[in-house]
Amino acid sequence: MRLLRYIAGRLVVYLLVVVFGLTVLFFVPRLGPTDPIEAMLAKVASQGAYMDASQVDRLRESLADTFGLSGTLLEQYWAFIKRILLTGDFGPSLSMYPTPVMELIMNALPWTFGLLLTSTLIAWVLGNFVGLLSGWKPEGTSSRVMEGIAICLYPIPYYILALVLSILFSYVWKIFPLTTTIRGAPWSWDLVTSILWNSFLPGASIVIVVFGWWVISVKAQTTAIKEEEFVRYARLKGLGDGRILTHYVLPNAILPQITFLALQIGLMFNGSLITEILFDYPGLGLLIYSAVLQGDFNLLMGTISLSVIAVATATMVIDLIYPLIDPRIRHR
Amino acid sequence: MALGLAAALGSTVLAGYAPAAYAQQMTDVGTPRAETLIVDMLNARVGNPTNMNMYQQGVAMSHGFHQVALSQLYDIDTAKGTQIPGLAAEMPEALNDEYTQFRVKLREGLAWSDGQPFTADDVVFTAEMIRDTPALAYSAAFTDAIASVTKVDDYTVEIETTRPTPRLAIVLGSVIYGNAFHVVPKHIWENEDPATFTNFPPVTISAYKYRDHDPNGTWFLWEKREDWQNTEVGQMIGEPKPQYMLFRSYGTEERRVLAMAANDIDILTDISPESLDILRNQNDKVRAWFTDFPYANLDDPCERGIHFNTSIAPYDDAKTRWALALAINAQRASIATFSGMMRASPLAIPPTTVLMDTYHQPMAQWLTEFTLEDGYQPFDPDYAIKLGEQLRAEGVEGIPEDPEQLRELLGVGWWKHDPEQATKLLTEAGFTNNGGQWMKPDGTPFTINILAPADFEVQSQRLAFAVANEWTQFGIPTQVQQMQAGAFFTAENTGAYEVGSYWGSSCAITPDLFVRMEAWHQDYVRENGMPASHNQGRYVDAELSALIDELRAIPADDEQIVPLGTDILKELVEGLPVIEMFGTSKFVPVNETYWTNYPSADNYYEGPWWWWSNFKFIAARLEPAAAE
Repeated sequence: MRLLRYIAGRLVVYLLVVVFGLTVLFFVPRLGPTDPIEAMLAKVASQGAYMDASQVDRLRESLADTFGLSGTLLEQYWAFIKRILLTGDFGPSLSMYPTPVMELIMNALPWTFGLLLTSTLIAWVLGNFVGLLSGWKPEGTSSRVMEGIAICLYPIPYYILALVLSILFSYVWKIFPLTTTIRGAPWSWDLVTSILWNSFLPGASIVIVVFGWWVISVKAQTTAIKEEEFVRYARLKGLGDGRILTHYVLPNAILPQITFLALQIGLMFNGSLITEILFDYPGLGLLIYSAVLQGDFNLLMGTISLSVIAVATATMVIDLIYPLIDPRIRHR
Repeated sequence: MALGLAAALGSTVLAGYAPAAYAQQMTDVGTPRAETLIVDMLNARVGNPTNMNMYQQGVAMSHGFHQVALSQLYDIDTAKGTQIPGLAAEMPEALNDEYTQFRVKLREGLAWSDGQPFTADDVVFTAEMIRDTPALAYSAAFTDAIASVTKVDDYTVEIETTRPTPRLAIVLGSVIYGNAFHVVPKHIWENEDPATFTNFPPVTISAYKYRDHDPNGTWFLWEKREDWQNTEVGQMIGEPKPQYMLFRSYGTEERRVLAMAANDIDILTDISPESLDILRNQNDKVRAWFTDFPYANLDDPCERGIHFNTSIAPYDDAKTRWALALAINAQRASIATFSGMMRASPLAIPPTTVLMDTYHQPMAQWLTEFTLEDGYQPFDPDYAIKLGEQLRAEGVEGIPEDPEQLRELLGVGWWKHDPEQATKLLTEAGFTNNGGQWMKPDGTPFTINILAPADFEVQSQRLAFAVANEWTQFGIPTQVQQMQAGAFFTAENTGAYEVGSYWGSSCAITPDLFVRMEAWHQDYVRENGMPASHNQGRYVDAELSALIDELRAIPADDEQIVPLGTDILKELVEGLPVIEMFGTSKFVPVNETYWTNYPSADNYYEGPWWWWSNFKFIAARLEPAAAE
């Protein structure tokens, strides 16, 4: 019964967070200074197409109608909430009209997920492994070297690191492409190798930067935990280092890392803005960036709504599985 | 950013690295590099690459579709500053004195890329399709201007307009960049709903046809048609040499610069002067418009300046605007913006080569003699000479000694930097100076907020900061508020600004100034808060509006075009609704490793407008480097 109450409580919080997030998302862009119709008209004008004022007026009316921006704010809000919750339809993109927002998101999502999930998991596993060992034997030469590398990598501004990698591996030594050029028939080996080839540098840049953080954080945890009384007790019991590390230190040190990893995965729906911009990688971050620049309400709401839902879901899942990992929560 | 790139690339020079070109190389999209012209895509990645319905708002076209595959009825010769027939055989012929009926002859012998002939049926069908499909945003605008298009014979149509339109060619053809009216192949579109049709892969009319694209929208490949003779380019220029045109996005400026340094791209759109410097040092095959200072092309059809919302006090008073102009040291502003690599303009039209000859040079005497109400002569005809001296003193090489050459290069002159006269004018306008703090006529402190672009239009951005510095030095605290494009244009159109670093209305390419000058008509003024379609500065000037009405009534080849244009420019100088400052300097480098005969200052057959519809005429003149 207590378990059911626990689950129900988490679900209610989850739904409230999602509806609140969507509401904020609807109103915030509309409170901003961008009118997507004026943005679109300016785009037409800046491209030099001549239209006299009367023609521009007609175009303005026509765009308001086409983009579904007529009606009061409240009417637009109810239509939005109904559409999202019932059909998951975010409408057409305004800047890439009439392409549906979901189509743009579904095109971008696999790229972001593929890149970020892989690189985040690689960095997480490597970082935690190295951090755990460094924290366990902090005086060892290899620990010091690994820690030194992590400390050197962690503070490098990502932008600089990505640029240096590009210059070295795409310009000086032309090993990887300067821009993303995926080629190959669907589901072919050519396509797979092309994706791996094109994603290597963006992925490596993320791994290098994130790796340092995981090392430093798990090392701090390990160093603290190995001085805890229960670890000392295990040592006094005569248990071996391997068993103490894997059965006593690791389960405790890894808990916050798992929470953070889950949140990181939820945040993937934001894409990795700088990576995608710098490497011209076709993911969600680039899509959000273009939506902000163009005042594309629908696209912005579509991409960020997904992110809100993903983070809320990831948090809920963590809440639900935490009792399975952490006996202290189970007891509570 | 540029500094980081410079430092990083600098180390590669020390390491002795130099990119090598291999004629037999293939591009990464599988075409022979030596047969492929690679062009930078203006608007980066395309989110919806398989939609090429040019009548749907939001469909991108600057990925080669617009430049080399489509064609307009009328295009623009940017070197001469005149419209030219494209799909049309000649310029439209007016059939009545009211300029409401026209005969348009079409070019014969053209064919679509699927081999079907291009005829009057396609033009008539396109007009009817647009009219009958209100779901297309352009439908309302088109119907507002064009009453009917009827077929006379296979190669002639008659067009009736809804109101007197002496310049039909600007309504249906390109003046700057392009035009929304594109003739579509009837045999393809008649079976489709134009509101939902994706037009992919497209059947095209010019010398290149669709070949391939990246599903993620980073590149588009166009291939020369076997029947290129049956295109307007084939008839007008001859056979284009590049077998393939690859339009591609390299993303950020750093990557675009790296790509050109590595010979991976032949033509770049706008980059900063600092990036050009890096490129020139990295690759001796890279060339700018001028081989020496100022390197940039100075013929962009829109100039940059400081615009005012003239409906808001204190900017509603010409004296205030003049005072602010005289408080600017233009030489300093030029150096601060683009290291002096700009041509100054005191007029409301850009100082392009054609317009310098037509207006700036002929009006230089008038400008020198022009006086404000109190008899003060604000014009400084020696601006270019002083700037030249300053640049030479700073060690810049290649600055001409001859004053006339300097004026030609850096502008006929600009307003004097005269803080005393600025102070006098502000005082006359009711301002007071309270211990160094200027107070407005209503007694509140005079501070200025310049609205400027945040993530685009780097020249306007930098200009805003340079002018803010000038005004602050003069004693008016000035700050710059940067906005991204959507918010920036919303503010401009709705009048939610007081001072802005803009370029919108001060544009022209032909001696006929109607296209953008018309925007100054007082009929287009809207209340602040309401979006304005023209005259975003909300400037009211009855005399100016009367002159615009006169200009509106005559065709582009009328002998009164230049005299009327001159009068309009004089009126705008007197009222000064905008402090016009500099023509736009475009740093648009090309790489001569694979292709040559690009247009340049000493080979001026076209302007370097790679993203305009007339790019097809440039591409057709390029020569393979290996053939030299």
